[in-house]
Amino acid sequence: MKAEFMVNDVKYVVEVEPNERLSDVLRRKLGFVSVKEGCGVGDCGLCIVLLDGKPVNSCLMLAYQASGHRITTVEGMGDGTRLHPLQQAFIDVGAVQCGFCIPAALLVLKHLHDTKPDADREEVRHALRSVLCRCGSYIRFEEAFKQVSRR
Amino acid sequence: MSEEIARRFREILEAREFLIVGKKVARVDALDAVLGKPLYTADLVSGKTLYVKAVRSKIPHGYIRKIDTSPAASRQGIVKVLTHRDIPGVNDAGSLISDRPLLAYEKVRHIGEAVALVVGESLEAAEEAADHVEVDYDPLPVVTNPRDAMKPGAPRIQDRDNIVTHFKIRKGDVEKGFKESDVVIERTYRTQFITGLPLETEIAYSFLEEGGRITCIVSTQNLYDVYNKVVKILGVPGEKLRVIQAATGGGFGPKSDETPIDVAAYACLATYFTGKPALAAFSRSEAMTVQCKRHPFEITNMVGARNDGKLLAWRSTLIEDTGAYISKGHLVIGRATFHCTGPYEVPNVWADGYCVLTNNTMAGSTRGFGAPQAHFAAEMVLNELAEELGLSPLEIREINMLRPGSLTATSQKIEDDGLLKCYQRAVEASEWEKRVREIREFNRANKVLKRGIGIAMLYHGNTLGPEGDDFATVITYVERDGKVVVQTGLTEYGTGALTSLAIVTAETLGLPLSMVKLERPDTAAVPNAGPTVASRTTVIGGQAALDAALKIRATVAQVAAKMLSANPADLEFRDGLVKANGRTVTWNEVVNQCFEENISLRVVGYYIAPPTKWDPETGQGAPYNQYTYGALVAEVTVDTETGVVKVDRLTAAYDVGRAINPLGLVAVYEGGSIMGQGYALMEKIVHDDGVVINPNLHTYVIPTASDTPDEIRSIIVEVKGSMGVFGAKAMGEIPVVLPAASIAAAVANATGIYIRELPLTPQRVLEELHKSRQ
Repeated sequence: MKAEFMVNDVKYVVEVEPNERLSDVLRRKLGFVSVKEGCGVGDCGLCIVLLDGKPVNSCLMLAYQASGHRITTVEGMGDGTRLHPLQQAFIDVGAVQCGFCIPAALLVLKHLHDTKPDADREEVRHALRSVLCRCGSYIRFEEAFKQVSRR
Repeated sequence: MSEEIARRFREILEAREFLIVGKKVARVDALDAVLGKPLYTADLVSGKTLYVKAVRSKIPHGYIRKIDTSPAASRQGIVKVLTHRDIPGVNDAGSLISDRPLLAYEKVRHIGEAVALVVGESLEAAEEAADHVEVDYDPLPVVTNPRDAMKPGAPRIQDRDNIVTHFKIRKGDVEKGFKESDVVIERTYRTQFITGLPLETEIAYSFLEEGGRITCIVSTQNLYDVYNKVVKILGVPGEKLRVIQAATGGGFGPKSDETPIDVAAYACLATYFTGKPALAAFSRSEAMTVQCKRHPFEITNMVGARNDGKLLAWRSTLIEDTGAYISKGHLVIGRATFHCTGPYEVPNVWADGYCVLTNNTMAGSTRGFGAPQAHFAAEMVLNELAEELGLSPLEIREINMLRPGSLTATSQKIEDDGLLKCYQRAVEASEWEKRVREIREFNRANKVLKRGIGIAMLYHGNTLGPEGDDFATVITYVERDGKVVVQTGLTEYGTGALTSLAIVTAETLGLPLSMVKLERPDTAAVPNAGPTVASRTTVIGGQAALDAALKIRATVAQVAAKMLSANPADLEFRDGLVKANGRTVTWNEVVNQCFEENISLRVVGYYIAPPTKWDPETGQGAPYNQYTYGALVAEVTVDTETGVVKVDRLTAAYDVGRAINPLGLVAVYEGGSIMGQGYALMEKIVHDDGVVINPNLHTYVIPTASDTPDEIRSIIVEVKGSMGVFGAKAMGEIPVVLPAASIAAAVANATGIYIRELPLTPQRVLEELHKSRQ
């Protein structure tokens, strides 16, 4: 079947199987390899993408269900030439360790920043709960969010 | 000539103020990471690939009577099914000790052991077919408690005694020490299985190159470990295999252990037999079942002290469950036993450490390598002793901590005051006395919520010490555009240590960090650099990077000296310029001149740590070249109705010797603390009669952002070490060591109860509270 969606503002029309997961289509068919998989059952959140601006686990969504929607991955976070302020802040505060959860963490915080730029610490932590980071960079992520909301 | 110049440059470097070392700089790989660019193994699969799935044993112990692969092999989409009989080379996937077959034969010894491999055209086909390989077993008695496994006549796990190692420390006269003690207590502490749980599971992708060489891309800490074993498993000459480490999503020990060898061998075997690209990756539950775990320990500490608090005698018995295969268990017991007294001076020590085989899943390398277990038991017993003596946790530590001139449990003389500095800084920054008063008031006013504060301290023998050859190699070369490339068999998997190597290189050559690039570890390009374990990359690898950079600098200096009519040893390298006598050439001009003159700017840097000496009969000697020290203060709130422990604040002071990359250190401090908190409060892999019952992330819960303490204060103490680059000490593992000890101490302070078994789950805390009320 055909699925049609915008990924990072580019329109894609792609042939998908009815049981094909959004994460697999994004990764394998469209090459957005920043979308990671850590468990395949919705526990870890590493496959999070933004669907119409809201975080979803792309391993729990079938590709056809995303048809007609707007998808954002970390490849589409900057404006093409400049980093998104959160990306810069991640670099500045030293948030990157193994890097495997970084795309998901950035997207979750982008959603929070877009909807509630002045979110307090508890709200930031609550949002980040959906992404596991075994390196334990949570406080760095929080720090990055704080830096951006201060601006 | 060149060597002399290099030596002179080393002196200059160490005498002047650092340009980049110790400054706040971003990791060299941070920009790519925030753009989602790093290519992990799964991201490199292109086009059609085969998928390899292991058939895993459904019982923990039994003879294999028969393996029937035909029902699987005849299924659609199945290309090949392999058993131990098909392995062309050696059926051995043990990393240091060859006790673990890649595919089981005769016997399975733990749940989930691989008995066959299914190669399919799709993952689904391979997974389904794996269920159709029929294995008949004769079940054997299952031994899951190491105490049972140690008994004479216990069923044997392997064809050897279940006790793998008996590790000893004999210092002074412990009986006399106890006799002279005014107070003697004995307590037993227990720790649990956990999994290091890198979020990227084990994965390898292999394909055939022209000329018949198999290339294997793998997620691993130890490039050459994988290479050396897979060459033997395939039974091919070394030149027929190439192993490349892809970006690796977390290590924490397991990726240095044996399961990366497994997946690499699975994929390579499929490519070997079919000539086609093949992918082998663990599912999450597979990883959580068979990935090596942190060893559970039962530690009994008997300690004696005078009334004034001075420790006189210490007896430890440590029983370590290494599961069905040894992996690194024989070394982990060594590190745990060496550190069994914690960072305290005790004149008389007797310790027996046993590494024991059981039918539990294999334990092996996990961040901290025996230190979290040993320190938990040491710090707890010290607190319990202090209470008996009427001393505060601070007083007993001040009386007994290792100071310059102190002798450790192995009678190694301590040279520096790193521990004292960490202690002072942690106590001061946590405002200990003020907090103690506030907590007292809070607890008087609150019936349900109880607050507490606790401290724990550590010393950590640096790098491999007695655990192996502590060497590293780094290849450094300069490209025509002046960029300096650093390539090594040491790997990046999250710690940031390779950025430290880049920093050392930039520092030595007076270049901005942006001029230094890292190339991927690749057996076709770099020699063995030793394992990327034991927090040794910055310390030992940094020395090799320094050696390489000094060699480059010496070569460049000789060319620049001619250009500037100066003495090579007098040249200053700074800001991308080479200067002498008020004259300047740019780095790029000199590099260009080197290329014009055909002068090679490609060198191998090498370093090997001085050998360490100790007597295996008594454990006496100097097993490590230097020690990292630390002190961690934990403040908690215990809900006495629900048993929930909330960590309010951690104050961490570690003596890192020299902070090469302070920004990286903060991430490691915080991250290790959070991982350690999971160990303290939440995590436990549960074996039910040998069967892992929670191999998933919804019943095995790790800390999320909401579980993190309100605040983690990271204090960097720098007391130069004798071995590491620019005085650096090991740090990658360290912050995971103390959280359990300090959190349990804080819980004891809050509730009056010493909970002697990890983790301190709400259920356990409640049970202990109930017991104490009866």
